[in-house]
Amino acid sequence: MEKLLFFVYSIGILIRIYLSFSDFSTSIADRVEVSTPLNSWKRVIEGVSLYNENINPYDGDLFHETPLALVFFSHLTSTFSDFYVSLVFIVCDLITAFVLYYTSKIYTENLLKQQTKTKHVYNKEFNKLLIPDDFSVINPFYVCSVYMLNPYTVFSCIARTTTVFNNLFLALCLYSMVKRHRLLGCLSLVLASLPTFYTFGLLAPLMISCAPIDSKKKTGSFIITFLTCGTISCSLLYLCYTIMNEWTFLDSVYGFILNVRDLKPNIGLFWYFFTEMFEHFRALFVCAFQLNASVLYVIPLSIRLRRDPLLLATSLLTLTAVFKSYPSIGDVGFYLSLLPIHRHLFYFMQQAFIVSCFFVGCTVFAPTVWHLWIYSRSANANFYFGVTLAFATTQIFLITDLLFAYIKREFALKHGMKRMINGKEARLMLD
Amino acid sequence: MGLLTDPSVGHGALTSIFVRHHNRFCIVMYIVSVVLFCMLAHYSLSSQTYFSENALLPGLVKGQLNDNTGSSFRDHFRELNAEAQHYETETPHAYLISKFKNLRLETYSHNFTLNYPLKKNTKYTGRNVYGILRAPRSASIESIVLSVPYRAPSSVFPSTLPGLAVMFQIAQFFRQQIYWAKDIIFLVTEHEQLGMQAWLEAYHGTSCGSPGVLDSGKLSGRAGAIQAAINLEIHSDKIDHIDIKLSGLNGQLPNLDLVNLAHRLCNKESVKHTFNNVDGGAIGRSKVNSYYTNLSTMMSMVMTQATGVPDGNHGLFHRFGIEAITLEGYEKEGRGIYSSVFQVGRVIEGMFRSLNNLLERFHQSFFFYLLPSTDRYVSIGLYMPCLVLLVGALFLKAFSTWIQHSSEHKSGDSSAQATIPERLNVGMVSVITLGSHVVGLILLPNLAPAYFTHFWNYIPTHRALLLGYGLLSITIVCLLPIIMNKCLNSFKSSNWVLLHVICLLELGIGLLCVSMHNFSLGYLTALVYVLPAVCIKSSQNRIIVKLLWLIVHPMCSLFWITAYITYTAYPELPISDFLTKVLEASGQWMVLSTIDNMIYGNWAFSVGVLLLLPVWTSFWCLMFLPTNVSQKLKAE
Repeated sequence: MEKLLFFVYSIGILIRIYLSFSDFSTSIADRVEVSTPLNSWKRVIEGVSLYNENINPYDGDLFHETPLALVFFSHLTSTFSDFYVSLVFIVCDLITAFVLYYTSKIYTENLLKQQTKTKHVYNKEFNKLLIPDDFSVINPFYVCSVYMLNPYTVFSCIARTTTVFNNLFLALCLYSMVKRHRLLGCLSLVLASLPTFYTFGLLAPLMISCAPIDSKKKTGSFIITFLTCGTISCSLLYLCYTIMNEWTFLDSVYGFILNVRDLKPNIGLFWYFFTEMFEHFRALFVCAFQLNASVLYVIPLSIRLRRDPLLLATSLLTLTAVFKSYPSIGDVGFYLSLLPIHRHLFYFMQQAFIVSCFFVGCTVFAPTVWHLWIYSRSANANFYFGVTLAFATTQIFLITDLLFAYIKREFALKHGMKRMINGKEARLMLD
Repeated sequence: MGLLTDPSVGHGALTSIFVRHHNRFCIVMYIVSVVLFCMLAHYSLSSQTYFSENALLPGLVKGQLNDNTGSSFRDHFRELNAEAQHYETETPHAYLISKFKNLRLETYSHNFTLNYPLKKNTKYTGRNVYGILRAPRSASIESIVLSVPYRAPSSVFPSTLPGLAVMFQIAQFFRQQIYWAKDIIFLVTEHEQLGMQAWLEAYHGTSCGSPGVLDSGKLSGRAGAIQAAINLEIHSDKIDHIDIKLSGLNGQLPNLDLVNLAHRLCNKESVKHTFNNVDGGAIGRSKVNSYYTNLSTMMSMVMTQATGVPDGNHGLFHRFGIEAITLEGYEKEGRGIYSSVFQVGRVIEGMFRSLNNLLERFHQSFFFYLLPSTDRYVSIGLYMPCLVLLVGALFLKAFSTWIQHSSEHKSGDSSAQATIPERLNVGMVSVITLGSHVVGLILLPNLAPAYFTHFWNYIPTHRALLLGYGLLSITIVCLLPIIMNKCLNSFKSSNWVLLHVICLLELGIGLLCVSMHNFSLGYLTALVYVLPAVCIKSSQNRIIVKLLWLIVHPMCSLFWITAYITYTAYPELPISDFLTKVLEASGQWMVLSTIDNMIYGNWAFSVGVLLLLPVWTSFWCLMFLPTNVSQKLKAE
């Protein structure tokens, strides 16, 4: 297995290095599916050079990273040449893959431990529903290889989107969830959410996983985690303030995300809707869309999935990747690589084949239709929106299927797979 | 929400019916698709064309082009003929330039060079002449093009001199008018499509083909952004009918409004007008008869579009987002009523005045359509289902193959499922798919042909290409079964579902993408490939299926098509002559296609090499991969 892992790693690195230094990287970086106004490297470079010229980059409508990121990228581009900057991105992707590997390993081992403890409760005839021991070896390998070889993450990396760093922090956050490491978790969560805002929903799984199992101290622990996160984010925001000496960046970062000012097409659903809509309904629909993207699912899902914080985190990440205002395929690639962690649920999933067909189809169609729209001028925006809508629907199917699989598995473990009523096989209905 | 929340772990009744009878469903879908496609030509499925863009206002004004002021058409034509006879093979540039200057146009010429890609140090040069009539009513923001390809008397194509004379006459008339709001460019190109491509590339400052092949030079004068273009090919001063040509590069079509405009104005000036040389009027025909006429017109449009080669100089404009058509005037043979050049001239005048009214770029009406007749169209929403049915058959096959495989695993040996986690042979499958695509990449028209011609530089280019691609195909076809049987014995598996599903999906998605750009090419390819692809199973294919698949090898398909075309052209050729002719023609077709790709960026050849060939090869591997079903049977 180590050899295979090494093989996958080296292939992933080779692909990234080859593509980064070929002509493809610029054409991929210009794709709207990969680079959004929030994460594109071009804008970072522009912002950094404005900053180095002592012009406030937040004055224009160009730069939307936090001041922390601004200082970081300014140091990065001044100390390293272009070649090494690409390497930094590749190395970050590698670390993310490593972190995800260990996350998956620890998580599966925990699951196995839990399973041996509670084995007696489960229905006897369903030994095959139990997680086999080799999952703790295979799953991390799958997670790692999906992250390393998935074209979505590869493209995101070679286009040098800032999603790469964001993914690294998210991976660290997930790692600290399974490790129950509160401080690291809060810090990485805040670092991940500061520039992208939406991922703060992961606070819920973090609170659940950091809390002790003993129910008396639970509330206290929740509050401590919440306060830690709050303190860290406040202090980081203040740090940002001291860098810029004014608060205008808040509007440039969060105002830009929440008000959806840039309607350049992307793989999300906002751009088309807000171009077509009457202007005076804008405030209403912005609120509705943003609530849907950020907080709507957090509480109900946290209640239902309280025993499995990592699944909760996966589903929240998926939902934000679908519904957020400027999604890119880097986000999609990240949650896709989390799926093999939940491989014990795959047995209950029904739409895997259709979903994967649609994923491949949409990925191929989007550039085709884009070409027809922008270059041939024969198709129009509706064609492209059709593809992005199909893509969003596919992702929703995927996450719904996964969550239902979890519920079905829980049910089957307790009650058995086949239920007979009057000698006939009964069907279970979810209503 | 039933789709999402249906909790049955086993699959529903509907799914199981589909899975059990998927082959029948596939066949039914195929037949329905073909029937539906033939039905499209019927009156009930096509609709009457109409104007979407009201700004065109066609027919609002009376055509005023006449022979009363300045030189007459006769003078222009006589002068031009005398000049053309003087230069047997060349273009009289000096004459054209002075003529344009006499017409008081801003006149420029444009030089271009072609570095012939398949032979080193072979260059061809050419020169276009164009004159710009500046709009008196606005700054040079927008423009319209009227172009004529110049053909020397030695050319194999019919003469375009009458068209050129009409252009002079029109330029002379337009010069006197004051209502122009858009610049008008009068363009005379050399070397057929090559000159047009070079001029367009120079005008937009880009290069479409392989770098370094067509050196398009620089333009010394420009007008505004080109809104529309009309290419004129009039073969005689006595015109039988005007044929309106649309098909562009890679099957791109002009906006339907422009096509309608041409037909409508021809009607108004009572010029007989046709599409694909078939008159559209249904008057005096029986219903059955007019259906067959419509069907054959539509089929000829599909055939033209499928080649991806433009059927006139207009086809090169489309890529730059410029709507363009060709008006081809055929000579009236014998006696009878004919249309004069003035009628045609007034059609062009009307079109230009309509285009002059345009306020925005063409964006209404249709860009994707099929025309069964001059005044009827089939929109994308009606013809796309035909293709979706064919591709749906592929998806259904893939789906049921996958479901059968996974249900075998779930129900069959429950203990084995845990120990042998789904033997899908991911490694081997990815090697095969990657390998076949790498071969496809190497065979791309801007890589392999240069090496072939370099290697066999003592035989003609088309033979070298045929030899190169033919030998490679034969090697792949013969060698793969041996490799699969001998070397991969250790990779035995009960079936190769993953490879099978990947092949089917790739073919399906690829066909859909191709047909978004060029429906005709996608549909015809699907007609050929879907049926054999559906017949193939994941393991234990019969010899007849293998033979069937061998017949549709991309090279073989090319051979069959050329054989058919040759047979229709020369039906009484003896068999040996016929075969050599077909082989030669196939080779020439490959050369033309390669060159088209490198100069114009035509991607028909690339589709064959990057989609069909890899899929074909992967399927071929699938048929010869070792399976161990026979051992199981023995053990039982």
